[in-house]
Amino acid sequence: MAAPPLAHAGHWVVNLLYLAPVVLIVTMLAVSSHRDKRAEAAEKAAARTPDEPDSQ
Amino acid sequence: MTAGDPRLARMNGRLLAAVPLAGSIVLAAPEIALAHGLVGREDLPIPKVVFAYAATAALVASFIALAVLWPRPRLEGRDERRVASLPRILDPLCGAIGVAIFALLVYAGFAGSQTATNNITPTFVFVIFWIGLPIASALFGDVFKAFNPWRAIARAFAAVATSVSRKELPAPMPYPAALGRWPAVAGILAFVWVELIDSARADPSHLAVLMLAYAAVQLVGMSLYGIEPWNRNGDAFAVYFGLFARISPLHWKGGAVTWRAPLSGLTTLDAPPGTVALMCAMIGSTSFDGFSAGETWGTLAPRMTDSLRDLGFAQSGALEVTFTIGLLVVVAVIAGCYRLGVRGMRDATGIEMSTDALAARFAHTLVPIALAYVVAHYFSLLAFQGQAIGYLSSDPLGSGANIFGTATATIDYSWVSATAIWYVQVAALLIGHIAGLVLAHDRALITFKDGPTATRSQYWMLVVMISFTSLGLWLLSSAS
Repeated sequence: MAAPPLAHAGHWVVNLLYLAPVVLIVTMLAVSSHRDKRAEAAEKAAARTPDEPDSQ
Repeated sequence: MTAGDPRLARMNGRLLAAVPLAGSIVLAAPEIALAHGLVGREDLPIPKVVFAYAATAALVASFIALAVLWPRPRLEGRDERRVASLPRILDPLCGAIGVAIFALLVYAGFAGSQTATNNITPTFVFVIFWIGLPIASALFGDVFKAFNPWRAIARAFAAVATSVSRKELPAPMPYPAALGRWPAVAGILAFVWVELIDSARADPSHLAVLMLAYAAVQLVGMSLYGIEPWNRNGDAFAVYFGLFARISPLHWKGGAVTWRAPLSGLTTLDAPPGTVALMCAMIGSTSFDGFSAGETWGTLAPRMTDSLRDLGFAQSGALEVTFTIGLLVVVAVIAGCYRLGVRGMRDATGIEMSTDALAARFAHTLVPIALAYVVAHYFSLLAFQGQAIGYLSSDPLGSGANIFGTATATIDYSWVSATAIWYVQVAALLIGHIAGLVLAHDRALITFKDGPTATRSQYWMLVVMISFTSLGLWLLSSAS
C-alpha cells in the first residue's frame, strides 16, 4: 500500500522551501501594487474635489 | 530611477527589505534542511536551499543597483571596434574541417563499435557538440558558423555551380516571414527528444542516420531559401549556437573580428515568430533533463507509464510517450512563467503593445539564462565525460587503434570535486540571471517613456528571474 503523503512530508516540504523567495517577492509586489492603486485613487479624488463648483 | 518618484522609492525600499528578510530565512532554514539530510556528497557548509535564498537576495540587490546606477541604455546601439582582419582562406578551411569531422562521425557511427562508450560519435554529439559548443560560442563568438558542415557543403556547391554555369544561380525563394524560427524550434525539440527520450539514443549507427537526415533537411532548406536566410532562421544548431555567440565580446563578420561589449550582441537580435518559443524550448528542455532525474518525476513517471500500458502501449513506447509529455509540459511551464512576467510588465506600465510583441521585444534576455541552465546542468558531464574525447580521438571506432597515442588515457574523476561542481552550478545560474536582468533593464529604458516606468516594468521580470533561479537550484538539488 502506498504511504500516505504526510508520512513523507519532509521531502515535499523541503521542495516547497525553494518556492519561498518567489512567494515572498510576488506577495510584496501584489501588496505594493494594491497600495499604490489605492493611493493613486485617493490622490485623484483629492485633486477632483477643488474643481467641483462650490457655489450655485 | 529618479529619486523623485515616491512609488518607486517605496517599492525599492520594500525590495531592499527583502534582502535581510531572505537572510533571516537563511538562518532559520539549516535546522530543517539538515534534519532531512540535504547535504549530500558535496560537503556543503550550508543547506542547498539556502543558496536559493542567497541568490534571491543577490538578484534583488542587483535589481536595485540597476535602478539606481544604470539610468540610460548602455548596451543598445553600442559600436564595435575592429581588432583583426581574417585571411580569406580561413572560412573555407574551417568549413572543410567541419565537413571532415561530420564525415568522420557518420562513418564512425556506422563502421565503429556499437558500444556507445567505445565510439566517438555519441560522446562528440552529446558532450562536445551539444554542451561544449554553447560555452565556446559564448566565449569566442560564432565558431559553429565557421565549421558548420551543411553551410560549407552548400557554399562549396554554390561556388562550383556558379563557376561551371558561368552565370549567377537562380535566386532562392524569399524566406517566409510567418515561418520565422519555428523550424529551429522543431529542430531543437527533436534533438532534445533524441538526447533525453529516444530509447536508441546511445546507438551510434542510429545517431549517424539521424545526422544524415538532419544534413539532408538543411541542404534542402538552404537550396530553397538561400544559405544565409536558412542559417539565420531554420538550421536549429546554427540558430542555437548563434544565440549564445551574441553573448561574446567577439564578433566574426565580413572577414574581420570586431570587439563589442559583452551581451551587447543580444540587443540586435531580431525576434521573428518562434523566437520566444525557441528560448522557452532551450530553457525548458534543460529543465526537464534535471526534473526527470529528480524524486518528483521518479514518482510521477511510473504511474503515467502504467496508465499508458493499460491503454495498450508497449513498455518502451509508454516510456517515450510519458517522457515526451513531461518534456512538453516543462517547456509549457517555462513559457507560461515568462508570459506571466511579460503580462505583469504590460499591466504595470499600461504600454500600448500586445503581450506577444512585448514578449518578443524582451526575448533576448532569456539567452544568458538558457546558457546558465546549460552550464549548471551539464558542467559535470562536460568535466568528466568530455575527457573521454582524449582516448576516443585516438580510437574513434573502438577498434583498438591508437592514432595519437592517447588511446589508453582514462577519465580523471578527481580533478574537480562535487562541492566545486555545485559552486560552479550556483555561480552559473546567478550570473546568467543577473545578465538577464541587465539586458531587460537596458531594453526597458528604451521601451518605456521614462526611467521610473522602466524600473516599474521590471518588477515582474525580477519575479521571472527569481523563479527561474529557484527552479534551477531546486532541479539541481533534487537530481539523484
